[in-house]
Amino acid sequence: MEANAGAIGVSAVSKVFPSGLEALRAVSVDIQPGEFVSFVGPSGCGKSTLLKLVGGLLEPSAGEVTVGGRKVSGPRRDVGVMFQTSVLFPWRTVLENVLLPIEVFGLERAAALDKARGILRLVGLDGREGAYPRELSGGMQQRAALSRVLITDPPIILMDEPFGALDEFTRERMNLELLRIWGERGQTIIFVTHSINEAVFLSDRIVVMGTSPGRVLAVVDVPLARPRSIEVMKSPDFARTAFEAREYLGVAR
Amino acid sequence: MRAALLSPLSFVGILILWEAVARAGWVSPLVLPAPSRIWDGLVILFTADWFPQHVWMTTAETLIGFFVGGVAAIALGILMVNVQLFKEVIYPYVVAFQVMPKVVLAPIFITWFGFGMESKVVMAIAISFFPVVINTVVGLESVEENELLLMRSLVASRGQVFWKLAWPTALPSIFAGLKTSLTLALIGALVAEFVTAKEGLGTLITTFSFELKVYLVFAVIVVVSVLGLVLYGIMEVLERKIVFWRRSRFTG
Repeated sequence: MEANAGAIGVSAVSKVFPSGLEALRAVSVDIQPGEFVSFVGPSGCGKSTLLKLVGGLLEPSAGEVTVGGRKVSGPRRDVGVMFQTSVLFPWRTVLENVLLPIEVFGLERAAALDKARGILRLVGLDGREGAYPRELSGGMQQRAALSRVLITDPPIILMDEPFGALDEFTRERMNLELLRIWGERGQTIIFVTHSINEAVFLSDRIVVMGTSPGRVLAVVDVPLARPRSIEVMKSPDFARTAFEAREYLGVAR
Repeated sequence: MRAALLSPLSFVGILILWEAVARAGWVSPLVLPAPSRIWDGLVILFTADWFPQHVWMTTAETLIGFFVGGVAAIALGILMVNVQLFKEVIYPYVVAFQVMPKVVLAPIFITWFGFGMESKVVMAIAISFFPVVINTVVGLESVEENELLLMRSLVASRGQVFWKLAWPTALPSIFAGLKTSLTLALIGALVAEFVTAKEGLGTLITTFSFELKVYLVFAVIVVVSVLGLVLYGIMEVLERKIVFWRRSRFTG
């Protein structure tokens, strides 16, 4: 992996959809390799659009997105994407779903089997590899989706409200596990959410976004030490940071 | 549980009532023969050495029509989804053909393809073709936005998107179309046989009707119904094996 493989640069990016909707106006963010950054904002602030632009799934109307120092011109295999729904294929078992990227990349399936099993153990899905998605709870489905991202070791992971459809308890457990895995592997993660607490708990920095048009209102540093446990939610720094983000969001109205 | 018991019981009840009405002489046996008489007819059919070839002929016409029509329909559906121009040009014809009562074509097919098996197969194809085309198109187009985004994020090729995502997504819908079309293929073969044929269950029905052997007509109707049920049952089993995930997908 190159030293700056995980660096992301967004400079003066605007996105206007053919319908005329101005989703983003002049957004600039620089993200360091190995950094955990959250995009927070109300619905329609363009945070998901921004994520898709970084992933090369959309093209900017103006400005430039770079990944690893190179301009993004389309989807890339060193960027893993996770969605709000697990997007597991119901005709594939958990293991087969996790191996999907291996097949698409044209890599040796047999060689990836052990790795896939290791990752499933890492996310707590060992013993469920032969199950079909319908047999899993929502939390387990997202664990499988996370495993599918991890199987190719992408230096960058883009997560679009991955735990937004889960209940609060499952969500907190998933947050802890995500931090543990990120702590071990050190990917660059962009995490889209509309939960301020979730963003503060997970991130190094929070990009607070506002609507019409979608734009960056502020970037908030999270001064909390790592590794973090649920305990940090009690700390004054946590409360202060969450409040700061809320204030910026309040200004937007 | 109660329905599982009541349904067969009611069937037996109807048979007994029917038998009683027929025996009392309230209805002429030329109009409605008693169940016991129909049973006699079935015994006659299954002991006759000429009967199996008729069953075989109708079954063969149905299955050949179903397979040829099914494969062609799936291919056309795939083509229409993948080539936009093709879809725009062909789709109006498909819809126009769909609303046309295709039985009107039977006499023409006999003129074109002769009295033999070919005209029946063509009729079976014509009548069973369109549900599969439409279900293939609908199935292939039911791929969800996020699923497509996932494949795009993996930089999947067109072929990979089709075989790993679109095709399995469409399979439940295609199977639903195939199940309908198998029953329709049987209807197509029988209707063409009604018009003119040397062999087949449809021919037996018209022949026995002319001879006023109504109990034999009813016996053939029983055979045709069982044939239809068996074919449908085979498709059900195949469907459960091949698209085992279907139920969960639509019921959540």
